[in-house]
Amino acid sequence: MERVSRFFRSTVAGPLVAFLVVATFASLATPRFLQPQNLSNVSLQVATVAVVSIGATLVILTGGIDLSPGSTVALVTCTLAILVKNMGLPLPVGILLVLLLGVACGFVNGFFSTYGRIPSFIVTLATMSIYRGLAFLITKGTPIFSVSPALEPLFYGKLLGIPLPFYYVVILYALGSLFLRNTVQGRAIYAVGGNESAARLTGIAVNRSKLLAFVVAGLTAAIGGVLLTAWLNSGSPNYGAELGLQSIAAAVIGGASLVGGYGSMIATLVGALTVAVVQNGLNLLAVPASWQEITLGIVIVAAVGLDMWKSSIGRAFSKLFRQT
Amino acid sequence: MSDMTADRVGVLETPLNEPLWQVRGISKAFPGVQALEDVSMDIYPGEVHALLGENGSGKSTLAKCIAGVHQPEKGEILFRGRPVRFHHPMDARAAGVATIYQEFSLVPSLTVAENIYLGRYPRNSAGMIDWPAVRKGTRQVLEQLSLAIDPDEIVRTLSVAEQQLVEIAKAISLESNLLIMDEPTAALGLLETQRLMELIRRLTAQNKAIIYISHRLDEVFQIADRVTILKDGRRVASEPISKLKMGDVVRAMVGFDIQQHYPKERHVRDEVCLEVQGIRTENGVNDVSFSVRVGEVFGLGGMLGSGRTEIARAIYGLDKIVAGKILLNGRQVVFNSPREAVAAGVGMVPENRKADGCFFNFEGPKNITISRLKELLQGPFLSLLKEREFGELYLKRMNIPATALERSVQYLSGGNQQKVILARWLFSQARILIMDEPTQGIDIGAKLEVYHVINELTASGISIILISSDFPELLAMSDRVAVVRDGKILHITQSEQMTEYQLIGMASGAGTSDEIE
Repeated sequence: MERVSRFFRSTVAGPLVAFLVVATFASLATPRFLQPQNLSNVSLQVATVAVVSIGATLVILTGGIDLSPGSTVALVTCTLAILVKNMGLPLPVGILLVLLLGVACGFVNGFFSTYGRIPSFIVTLATMSIYRGLAFLITKGTPIFSVSPALEPLFYGKLLGIPLPFYYVVILYALGSLFLRNTVQGRAIYAVGGNESAARLTGIAVNRSKLLAFVVAGLTAAIGGVLLTAWLNSGSPNYGAELGLQSIAAAVIGGASLVGGYGSMIATLVGALTVAVVQNGLNLLAVPASWQEITLGIVIVAAVGLDMWKSSIGRAFSKLFRQT
Repeated sequence: MSDMTADRVGVLETPLNEPLWQVRGISKAFPGVQALEDVSMDIYPGEVHALLGENGSGKSTLAKCIAGVHQPEKGEILFRGRPVRFHHPMDARAAGVATIYQEFSLVPSLTVAENIYLGRYPRNSAGMIDWPAVRKGTRQVLEQLSLAIDPDEIVRTLSVAEQQLVEIAKAISLESNLLIMDEPTAALGLLETQRLMELIRRLTAQNKAIIYISHRLDEVFQIADRVTILKDGRRVASEPISKLKMGDVVRAMVGFDIQQHYPKERHVRDEVCLEVQGIRTENGVNDVSFSVRVGEVFGLGGMLGSGRTEIARAIYGLDKIVAGKILLNGRQVVFNSPREAVAAGVGMVPENRKADGCFFNFEGPKNITISRLKELLQGPFLSLLKEREFGELYLKRMNIPATALERSVQYLSGGNQQKVILARWLFSQARILIMDEPTQGIDIGAKLEVYHVINELTASGISIILISSDFPELLAMSDRVAVVRDGKILHITQSEQMTEYQLIGMASGAGTSDEIE
């Protein structure tokens, strides 16, 4: 019984229960959900959101918010397409450059919301608009197709029969988790989000920690952008529009608190999977897009609610078991 | 109550020799403390009635009972001989009680005029707020105080002194027969204080009564007609001021029954580790010099707002030092942030441990190791195993419940939270520790443990700058004490050569010991 109530108190419990509920629903609703081919599809679909959510989690942990990753993704897909297709740069060089571009985008967000003392919501609301505007500017509004034949294998390739994006996600989340749990900088990010004033008085470089979170967020958005370019072999200023809010949703479903200081990589991954499974399940059932949006909204509220109420649920459980 | 609102400002109807307000035997308890015990006081129209006592003696609680903020458990409050019961500050307001609180109640983002009429805007015939009337009324009130403040100024842009004056103007603009002023001059300069004194005289000439709470005895003797002194929640004196000398007041506030035994150990060594030479900040620290020896507890004694905390902030790199210098172990240092101070071996136990000290998203061990994470590094990574070992060690050493190993420190008592923060600096191996009110709001047992930690720290050669409003504690636990007032150090002496009432006398501006004897 102790174990049951401890499980309910742990941080991954709420998100995991939400995920299992959603997954059970999906597998009961359509037998196609659990087929290997579909699960492999889910792992492709989840890859971009999951990678972008790494950065979103870091920023949310510091108590900030990043609305711009969707636009960074769009700018990255367009830039990569132009660098490789129009300017003929080798693909690795192009990828390296757009990753740097992502870092720069994140740096701008971080710089203005820390040293510039503008709330991160405002800064990233502005850059959300600016980065997408830049994407329209450099492409003159037209998508660029068939970027490079070398791109598709990056996304559709397989290793030991498992799609490559699965490995990307696992590796990046392992690194993210290691960074958060086992480095001085990762700990500083939790401290800043938990109590900024105490962090400052304890000698933590508050602004530098926040800036780092935004820079990593820019980088993961850029990696997400590269994945998307490879997936669709194209770049478009219209790509990634939903990614900003979905990455926040993944972190929040994973139990991250928007006040800062609470959340983890694993929990966010569970959150991202939940988002992906909801979409995949509804796709399989041929539910119209309008209902998909509505369902996603309900899942966000239900998952966060479960997390908020979990201590009372845990208490109710232990009471129940003590009585019987 | 309805019969009162009809003639609520009817001060003139009350004969001058009968009390306007009477407090009869009221008691009020908070969890863990009896804040007031059977306290009575009479307030006559046209008098300034000073309410005195040490920090925590119950002055503010008594004022808040009269203002309807707190409801006493026993006793009653009478208005012109009739018992009244206030369930809410608005009830007291309707009965003619206006209060100027220590904590500002202004809305920083609104203008002066909007603040003064907040919640009671006059309406015009169309039912909209009558802004010309608001401005006109505000201008009149400001003129009464001879204040040159624009009614359309945003409150946030005003200086602290000006905000305090607006706060006073707001209270005066309410139709009232009793004004409660809780430390109204704490943020004021000499000139503004003088203006306030004149205004108080004008108000009493209109037969309004004033309850004046202040730490500054010089002011009290200048303005008050009668004095009520509280000690540990009980009334110890209530006299016309003409019958009292300053020495009597100080003695009554302090009492002679305090014979607590502080476990003070002396570990002062000869070497000086910190030298502060003539520092000045924009925050009011004015030409402050002192030095601290290795293993010494150096006390900063002063009233709220005296500048003691500001001195600590300057040393810790929180406020910019505009003149003077600081030497650490003989070498000049300039700290632009607490980060640089911490790196140089200076630590701070902040006054407000919840807002500035604890990380509630962390369990005990993470709260302790945060000050020196380097210690946990194995290669580039933190060893969580090592962290847990250190956590266990320090929790045990500080006698903090082991539940803190796995649960957030928010579930610990205030005393245990404070010990977690002390453990943090113990772990950080800071050489100089600034402690701002380290025992505020914690129980006796935890206080004793904090004292033992102070001894342990000084024994290992750590120096402590101790700030405390608890003067007996400050005198007992410090090796030397500096008296701070108006951002200056007035006097530095061995703490055993200073008595509590000398300290209060100097800190409150009553004068040196010879003058009050």
